[in-house]
Amino acid sequence: MKQVKGLRLLILGGLVAVVAAAFVIARTSGPDPVTTTGTRYAVTVTADRSAVDIRVDRGEADTVIVAAVMTTMGHAVPEVTARKAAPGHFVAEGDLFLMNGAWELSVRLAGRSGEETLTLNTLVTD
Amino acid sequence: MIRLLCLVGLLVVLLASPAAAHDVKAGSDLRIAQTIAGAELTLVIKATTRVPGPLRVEVIGFPSAPTLDLRLRSVTDGRVVTGTVAPGRPAQLRVEETGPHELTVGAGGESAVIPFRVLVDRGSGWEFLIYGGLFVAGLLLVGGLLTGAFNRRGRSAFVVTAVAAAGLAVAALIVILDPWLPARSPDGAEPRPTDSVIGRPYVQRVVTMVPAAPAAGEEFVARVELFDGSTGRPVDDLTIHHEAMAHLVVTSEDGRYFRHVHPLRTAPGRLEVRLRADRPGRYLTYVELERTDSGGQLLTGSFTVTGSAKPTASSDPALQDAAATGTVTVTPAAPQAGRAATVEVATSGTPRPWLGMAGHLIVRGADGEFLGHVHEMGTPGSRLRFTFSFPAPGRYLAWAQYATDRGITTVPFTVEVPR
Repeated sequence: MKQVKGLRLLILGGLVAVVAAAFVIARTSGPDPVTTTGTRYAVTVTADRSAVDIRVDRGEADTVIVAAVMTTMGHAVPEVTARKAAPGHFVAEGDLFLMNGAWELSVRLAGRSGEETLTLNTLVTD
Repeated sequence: MIRLLCLVGLLVVLLASPAAAHDVKAGSDLRIAQTIAGAELTLVIKATTRVPGPLRVEVIGFPSAPTLDLRLRSVTDGRVVTGTVAPGRPAQLRVEETGPHELTVGAGGESAVIPFRVLVDRGSGWEFLIYGGLFVAGLLLVGGLLTGAFNRRGRSAFVVTAVAAAGLAVAALIVILDPWLPARSPDGAEPRPTDSVIGRPYVQRVVTMVPAAPAAGEEFVARVELFDGSTGRPVDDLTIHHEAMAHLVVTSEDGRYFRHVHPLRTAPGRLEVRLRADRPGRYLTYVELERTDSGGQLLTGSFTVTGSAKPTASSDPALQDAAATGTVTVTPAAPQAGRAATVEVATSGTPRPWLGMAGHLIVRGADGEFLGHVHEMGTPGSRLRFTFSFPAPGRYLAWAQYATDRGITTVPFTVEVPR
């Protein structure tokens, strides 16, 4: 009788632990880099709550300006001029994102390769 | 134990993400109606299961379609492939990776850029638990047999059996709960949160004609620019709504002129279509569209055609009462406002699906303030049956539309709803 009770508890504990762990893993996702290519430039953008990292994969850009919009909520925030961290590498810092969720980023690039705005979607989490 | 299992199941069901209503998913074709080079056609981008791999594009004409030039561009890496497609002559393009793409379609000096995503399913993501559970159970059952054979003490055998049973139970539980477990998004999907869908702001529109005041008999471009009601930015997230990015209905005030067309996306937030009107006067425009994760919206506008009438052989006749058409039956003959009425249309030829339906009925109030779009719901034979509640007493202008091998037939008529 005691063995049967122990067996039940063991199975139940295993089930709950596995399902809970799998559920947490399945719902957790971090920021993924997004690559977008236009006619003049190609950029790889990684966005988190505090900064947007922009790597210019193709084209020569001098200035990069980022505008963020949360399409689902209709939120738009002021444009932020990205700081040039290294040639082809820009970082936009500031209050770009009001909250976590899906944001549409418009990255306006200007430089020797001309001017172009690339639009991409990213998921912002803490 | 049963209570606890039920609780776990309930939590999983409550926290699971809902299915997005209008996503284009792997395994389903993308069908887009377009009005291009004077032809009404449906472009079909066939579902792909393998990337890198072929991407097949077909075109269906109503009744015919010109040869279309195709240019497929990956938004991720900028790679471009080209091809041509015509009815019965599909194009075989190639995609190298999943994610956002743009298909530029050109014919007769017009072109449309259709954005879409190539998605490939990655499976449910829970399979590792099913196979893992079965693997552990199988392994331990063999171990249990060996333990039973060489060990006379029951304790080890009990533990082995218990863990094997747990493995089997996990596998069985996941199989049962699979429909409610959060699915992994396919490769190439738009990054989006897994929580509930909350909709998007309304769309504001600017309808312009190019030239601004078109002359009767001359071709002009009807341009609809879409702006987000909250941010003022161009709206470029239209989902495919009844097999089109947008349905544009243009009618003259008296209803003799009627066009139901599918404008081309020429730039983000901009839709254009070429039209021609034979008579001067005021024309009313209605754009039916739907943003991603949102419901349908109807945007209205108007424009004026100048000059003098240029009647042609195919000039539109005046609308007549449903009973006088000989092909339309309204039941009851004098419909009551707010009560369901049945409109039956006898077809000439066998209807074939167009915009996902066998038939469409567009109903406009005589003053243009109301517009309804009703679908036929599968009446067998050569009749189309629509059910519609005329919202208020008054005179209504209506156009029933269906497609056959001869093209799209439009049956215009009027309905009087007494007070």
